[in-house]
Amino acid sequence: MPDDAVPIEAVPADTGGELLRAEHLTRHFKIGGALARHTLHAVDDVNFSIGRREIVALAGESGSGKSTIARLLARVHAPTAGEIRYEGRPLSQLRSRRDRLRYSGEVPMVFQDPFSSMNPVFRVSHGVLRCLKLHRPELSERQRRDEAARVFEVVGLGPEMLHRFAYELSGGQRQRVGFAQALVTRPKLILADEPVSMLDVSIRIGLLNLMAKLRDEENVSILYITHDIASARYVADRLIVMYAGQIAESGPIEEVLAAPKHPYTQLLLSAVPDPRAPLGVAAETDRGEPPKVIDPTPGCRFRWRCPVAIDTCSHVTPVLAELEPGHEAACHVAQTGAEVKAFSA
Amino acid sequence: MSDPHVPEPVLEVSGLSVEYVLDRGSVRAVDDVSFTVGRGEFLGIVGESGCGKSTLLFAVAQLLAPPARVEAGSVIFKGESLVGLTDKQLAATRWRNLSVVMQSAMNALNPVKSIGAQFKDAMRAHGVRRSDEIADRSAEVLRMVGIDPAHLRSYPHQLSGGMRQRAMIAMAMLFTPDLVIMDEPTSALDVVAQRSLMVQIKELQDAYRFAVIFVTHDMSLISHFSDRLMVMYAGQVSELGATRSVFDAPRHPYTQGLLEAFPSIRGPKVPLKGIPGSPPNLAMIPGGCRFHPRCPVAFDRCSEEAPDLYQLDGSLVRCLLYDDAAADADASAPTGGRADA
Amino acid sequence: MAAAAVTVPASPVTANSAARRVWRAVRKNRKATAGAILLIFFIFLGLFPGLIAHDSPTAEIYGRSMGVSSAHLLGTTAYGQDIFAQVVWGTRQVLIIAFGAGLAATAIAAIIGVSAAYLGGTWDGVLNLITDVLLVIPLFPLLIVIAAYVQNSGTVVLIAVLTLTGWSYTARQLRAQALSVRSRDFLEAARVRGERAVYVVCVEILPTMTSLLVAAFLTNALYAVLFASSLQFIGLGDPNATSWGTMLYWAENNEALQTGQYMWAVAPGVCIAALGTAFALLNYAFDEIGNPALRPVRKIRSKRVRPARS
Repeated sequence: MPDDAVPIEAVPADTGGELLRAEHLTRHFKIGGALARHTLHAVDDVNFSIGRREIVALAGESGSGKSTIARLLARVHAPTAGEIRYEGRPLSQLRSRRDRLRYSGEVPMVFQDPFSSMNPVFRVSHGVLRCLKLHRPELSERQRRDEAARVFEVVGLGPEMLHRFAYELSGGQRQRVGFAQALVTRPKLILADEPVSMLDVSIRIGLLNLMAKLRDEENVSILYITHDIASARYVADRLIVMYAGQIAESGPIEEVLAAPKHPYTQLLLSAVPDPRAPLGVAAETDRGEPPKVIDPTPGCRFRWRCPVAIDTCSHVTPVLAELEPGHEAACHVAQTGAEVKAFSA
Repeated sequence: MSDPHVPEPVLEVSGLSVEYVLDRGSVRAVDDVSFTVGRGEFLGIVGESGCGKSTLLFAVAQLLAPPARVEAGSVIFKGESLVGLTDKQLAATRWRNLSVVMQSAMNALNPVKSIGAQFKDAMRAHGVRRSDEIADRSAEVLRMVGIDPAHLRSYPHQLSGGMRQRAMIAMAMLFTPDLVIMDEPTSALDVVAQRSLMVQIKELQDAYRFAVIFVTHDMSLISHFSDRLMVMYAGQVSELGATRSVFDAPRHPYTQGLLEAFPSIRGPKVPLKGIPGSPPNLAMIPGGCRFHPRCPVAFDRCSEEAPDLYQLDGSLVRCLLYDDAAADADASAPTGGRADA
Repeated sequence: MAAAAVTVPASPVTANSAARRVWRAVRKNRKATAGAILLIFFIFLGLFPGLIAHDSPTAEIYGRSMGVSSAHLLGTTAYGQDIFAQVVWGTRQVLIIAFGAGLAATAIAAIIGVSAAYLGGTWDGVLNLITDVLLVIPLFPLLIVIAAYVQNSGTVVLIAVLTLTGWSYTARQLRAQALSVRSRDFLEAARVRGERAVYVVCVEILPTMTSLLVAAFLTNALYAVLFASSLQFIGLGDPNATSWGTMLYWAENNEALQTGQYMWAVAPGVCIAALGTAFALLNYAFDEIGNPALRPVRKIRSKRVRPARS
C-alpha cells in the first residue's frame, strides 16, 4: 500500500472562487400519514458556502440535519425553500437530462456503509464503469478500462482489484472504491456522507489521508459529513456545526476548536474523549438530547440545555452572524459580545 | 491459580477457546483467553472487528449458539463453573448475579411491550411475585439511571436512543448483580449521550460495587473509565494491564498502532499513519505471531514462533520483543491468570 | 519494515461459476437433488417420448380395458389406447404449460412487484390494489369462469388464463424483497449518479433477487401443473389433447375407478403428483440456498466440557 501519510499543512487551501453556496436552504418532511399534519423541520434556513480545493466538515449528532443537507446537495430531495447555487447557477434551473448528469458528475456522493454501497452481484468495477459510461460517453471501451485502472491507483487499490467482487474486499477497500467511483467523473466537489464511521479505527486514518490527498493533488473539494470532531480536525479546513436542523457555528476549524463561541459547540468539544488528555470528567454532565424538530416554535432550539440562555433565546430564533472574520455563530449571548463559557472540557 | 493482582475475583476465565464448526472445518474465534475480574472492577475489552471480543462475551455469558461452541477452558463465576451447566441451572444465576447489556437496545427490548411490562417479566422469571415489590423495584432502577419512573408505561420506540440504553442498564440492575457484561452499549449513541451514559455507569458502579466487563472498539472512550484494559487481536489477548499504563506506555506494537490512529482535537496537528493492511481472516491465520504481517517492528522470529503472554511490570504482552525481558526478570513460566486445569 | 499486502487473497470462486455454485448447492442439498432428478426425468420424457413408449398414445387399436401386462405396462383404456404411451406422451403438454405459464407469470410478477416497490407512492398504491384484488378472488372458480367463457381450450389459451390468474401471489413476495433491497445504498448510489429508473430496476435490483425469482418460477410452475390438470379434469381443456389431465377426464367419464380400471386414473394422478413434488422440492431447496438461516442445522456432537475446580 502506498505510503499515504501526507503532511497535512503542505498545501494551503485555495478558496479563490466559491464553488457552491446554500442560501436559506430548508427542507421539511410531512409526517404522520395523510391525516395528521405535522411537519418535521429537518433543515431550516441554512446558509453556507464551499470554496474550491477545501475540505469542509459538517458536524452534528444524528438528527441534526447533516445527512439531509448531503441529500439536498445531491438532488435526492428538492428544497422546500431556499436555493443552492453551483458555480453561480441555481440548481432549480437544471432541467435537461444533460445538465443534471453534468451536475451529478461534478458533485458525486460517497456513502457511509461500505457493506451496502456496492451491488453484490457485480464486480467492483461495475460502478466505476457505469459512471464513465454515463458521464464521459466520449471515451471508448478501452479508454474506460484504462481510466478505471487509473482511479483505482489514485485511491490506493491495485488495478487487479477491478475484477474482484464486493464480498472479497474489506470495509476500508470498499470505501476506497466508493471514492474511486466519485473520482472518475472528474468531480469538483465530493459529498462524503460519514465515509469512515463504519470502519475500524486503524483503517480510518488511511481514508482520511486519501481525502487530504484528493484535495491537494486532484483539486477536489470535499464536504465531509461526520459526527466525529477529531477526524474532522484531522482533514478539514473549515468546520460547520449543526444542531437540530440549523447551523450553530461555522469557521476555520482551528479557530472554532480553540475558541468555540456557541454553547453547543462547547458541549460537543467537552464530551469528545481524548486518550492522551489527562483523566477528567466534565463538570456538567448534560443529560439532554437533541430535539426532534416537529412543528417548532420560534426561539433557539438549544435553549433547554443551555446554561447561559437569556430571555431573548425563548422568543427569537438566532441567526448566524460573523463574530470574528470568517467565524460565525448563531447565539444571542455570543452576539452581544460577551464571552460564552457554558461547558468546560 | 488466580491472578494475584486481582483482589476478590468475581470471574475467572482460563484458557477459553471458542470455535465455529463449519462445513469446511472449524474456525477458532477465541483462542486461549484468560483473565480475571475482581469485585467492583471495570475491565475494558477493546479490539477491532473480527478480533473475537463479542464471541468472548457471549461465551462468558453462556449465550453461544451452534455452530459456535466452547472448545476448551473454563469460566468460573464466584467459585462455580459456568461451562457445562444446564439451562435451568444457568437461569438461576443469570440476571441475579450476572446480567448482560447488549449493543442495540432496539434489538434487545421487545418493541410491543412497555418498559414496565418487560421489567415485570424479568422479575417474575426470577421469582418475584408481588406486584407492589415489582412496581417499587422497577421505579427504583429507573431512578437509578436518571429516567422518570413515569416512563414505565412507555414503549421502547417512544424513548430516545440514549434513554433506551439507560433502560437496558436499569433492567440489568434489577437484582444488583455482581457482574454486568456490556457489549458496545454506546456505539449507537452520539458523543454527548455516550459521555453521560459512561458517567452514569461509573456512578452506579461506585454506589453498588458491581464488576463491569465492557467490550468496545472505541479505545478513547474507555480510557477514562476502565481500571484495567485488555486488547484483543485475531482471537487472542495481545495486551492486558492497568488502563493508565496501557495508554501511557503501550508495549504491544498493535496497541501502539491503535493509539496512534486516534487524531486528537487538542494539541498540535500531526500526520498519522494507522496500521496498514487488515486483521487476518481467522480461517487463514498467518504462522508465528498473528500480527507480524502488519507489524512495523517485526523481525525474523516473528513469522515462525507464536509468542506467549509475557509478564512485564504487572502487564501481560503477547510479543516476542518482551520474552527476553521476561526471562531476565526472573519470571519462570509465562502465565497470567491461567488456571491449572 | 514489514508492509502488509493490502490485497485479499483472490478467492477461487469467481463470477463464472455462478452456475457452478448453483450446481454445488444442488448436489449438497438432498431435497434439491431429489427434485432435480425427478424434474430431469420428466423433461427427458417430454423431449424423447418415442424412446420410452413405442406405442401410439391415440391409436384405439388394442383390446379394451386390459390389465397390466408385459405388452401394455399400465394396461389399456376403455377405448383401447395404451395407458403407458398416453402417460409418456402426455408429459410434453404438461411441461409446456408448466414452463410457459410459470415463466410468463413470474415475468409479470417481477415487473409489477419490483416496480411497485421501486416507484413507491401512488404507483405502489395502484399496483398493490390490482394485485390484492386478484389475490382475494378465489382462484379456482375464477379460472373456471374464464376458461368456460373463453371456450377455446387450446394450450396457448390455457397458459394465458393460468398466467393472468397466477401472477398476483408471487408479485407480493417479489415486492417485499424489492422493498428490503430498496434501502441499500447501492441503489441510491445508482440514482445519484444519474441512472434511469428502468435501468435501476432491470440491472441493479432484479439480479440481486435471482434466487427469489427462481423460487417464484417454481411456485408458479407448480400452480400451473395442478390447476391445468384440474381444468382439464373438469372438461375445460381440449378433450382430444394427450395430457394427464385429459386422461383423468376420460377416466372419470368412464367411471374408471368404480369399474376397476385403476391404472387409467392412478397413473396420470401419480405423474401429476410427482411433477408437482419435483417443483416443490426444488422450491424448498432454493429457499434454503438463498437464505442460509433456513438450512437444517447439523447437531454438533458436543463433548461435555468437564467443569474445572477453581
